[in-house]
Amino acid sequence: MDEYINTKMTANPLIVLREEFDDWAILFNPDTGDTYALNPLGVFIWKRLDGTQTVSEITEAIRTSAENVPDEVGKEVEDFLRDIVRLGLASGEKPSS
Amino acid sequence: MTLPLMKTPRSVDIEITNGCNLRCTYCSHFTSPGDVGKDLPLDEWRRFFAELKRAAVMNVTLSGGEPFYRKDLRDIIASIVENRMRFSILTNGTLIDPEIASFLAATGRCDSVQVSIDGATQATHDSFRGKGNFVRALNGIRTLQQFDVPVAVRVTIHRKNVHELDQIAHLLLEEMGLSSFSTNAASYMGLSRINVAETQLTVAERSLAMETLVRLAEEYPNRISATAGPLAEATTWAEMKEASREGRPPTQGGGFLTGCGGPFQNIAVRADGAYVPCSQLGQMVLGRINQDDLCDIWQNHKVLWEFRNRRLIPLSSFDFCKGCPYINYCTGNCPALAYNLTGEVNHPSPDACLRLFEQQGGRLPPAERLRDL
Ligand SMILES: C[S@@+](CC[C@H](N)C(=O)[O-])C[C@H]1O[C@@H](n2cnc3c(N)ncnc32)[C@H](O)[C@@H]1O
Ligand code: SF4
Ligand code: SF4
Repeated sequence: MDEYINTKMTANPLIVLREEFDDWAILFNPDTGDTYALNPLGVFIWKRLDGTQTVSEITEAIRTSAENVPDEVGKEVEDFLRDIVRLGLASGEKPSS
Repeated sequence: MTLPLMKTPRSVDIEITNGCNLRCTYCSHFTSPGDVGKDLPLDEWRRFFAELKRAAVMNVTLSGGEPFYRKDLRDIIASIVENRMRFSILTNGTLIDPEIASFLAATGRCDSVQVSIDGATQATHDSFRGKGNFVRALNGIRTLQQFDVPVAVRVTIHRKNVHELDQIAHLLLEEMGLSSFSTNAASYMGLSRINVAETQLTVAERSLAMETLVRLAEEYPNRISATAGPLAEATTWAEMKEASREGRPPTQGGGFLTGCGGPFQNIAVRADGAYVPCSQLGQMVLGRINQDDLCDIWQNHKVLWEFRNRRLIPLSSFDFCKGCPYINYCTGNCPALAYNLTGEVNHPSPDACLRLFEQQGGRLPPAERLRDL
């Protein structure tokens, strides 16, 4: 678990982030034509997947960017990242030990 | 009532060339305001596609003219692909060879190549599309199929093929093995305005086209589609009649000029690089690619907003619609056709007027046959 929160995440450079209405967006994979809806939290996370920030740093950024962030946000971030990695939309680099 | 607007368009319709190897008798492009007599060089399109990437546009549809008539079409497509988009092409099918088909397949980004087929026989198709072009177009389809490029077919119905729809369905769905095809009728645009007597269906032929297409759509479930033309009209008009007979409350968007949702999703570009709301509204210039910012036009252009807000104009404000029993269920349909027929974009399209159709003796297929389509 600890290892996962120290993973640095990178968005797949092929994937297009399309911000559409308010803070909602879709991710578009031009190779397959698939689209995935992103809520505002997902958009916030996606914009930080530049390969320099770890999972826990992203969670921390969420906590400091808004008030009343629920305690479970860490788990939400992890679940979201696991999902998008599984879909090939991002990849993670584990910390070198 | 006003719809929310996306930050940028999802897709862009591009007339990639003004040129064409054919001159079809009913062609909506030639002599229309989109017939600009010149093309833009590759470099301009490349710069534009880079802007579409920044705007996160997902796909472009290339039309014209005839896209395969451009010698540098491969470079154009390569640039679309580089800029993370997918694409579709509308074509007469006559210039497709194995080389270009394999190139399209290799991109992995082609949503469809739509080939126009207007007859089941050489005589019918070629009557408006020119000698030899039926065989060429069918060969084009076969070549695309051979390379697993997704093929779509559009049948444009006119006076010479309206009696051949059964045979056309058989050719496309049985012999050519296509999963489906779409239909429209030659509408009053471009060369069709000059060749009215040859191209435009009479009311009786329109009724026949509806009857035949509804029967064929029953025979081939989910394999014949239409967003405009006789098959689409048969279904919407039957619903309007039923709603009127039963005195139902107005339908969603009914009673206003809501017939076109295009400007909330797409924008179009003429072959000379002018932005227009739709390829069929080539006179409504909003700006120029590589000079004016796409997002700015999309979000702020006054004319584009006026065009979107036509959906707030009630049909009751038109003398044309006074006393019509269908007014609460009617959406006024295509603004481009309205413009061509009345000179006004903000007018219901007389071509899509159910009351007029009935006054002129038009017959609809029975409503119960349309319910399951
Ligand atoms: C303008 S063409 C351009 C692409 C290509 N050159 C072709 O012929 O398919 C695009 C589609 O519009 C259809 N079309 C042309 N003129 C039309 C008209 N007056 N009314 C309705 N459809 C029309 C054509 O049959 C074709 O399917
Ligand atoms: S319909 Fe297509 S093929 Fe025919 S003249 Fe027009 S652009 Fe050319
Ligand atoms: S007159 Fe025609 S366009 Fe006007 S509401 Fe009736 S059916 Fe629609």
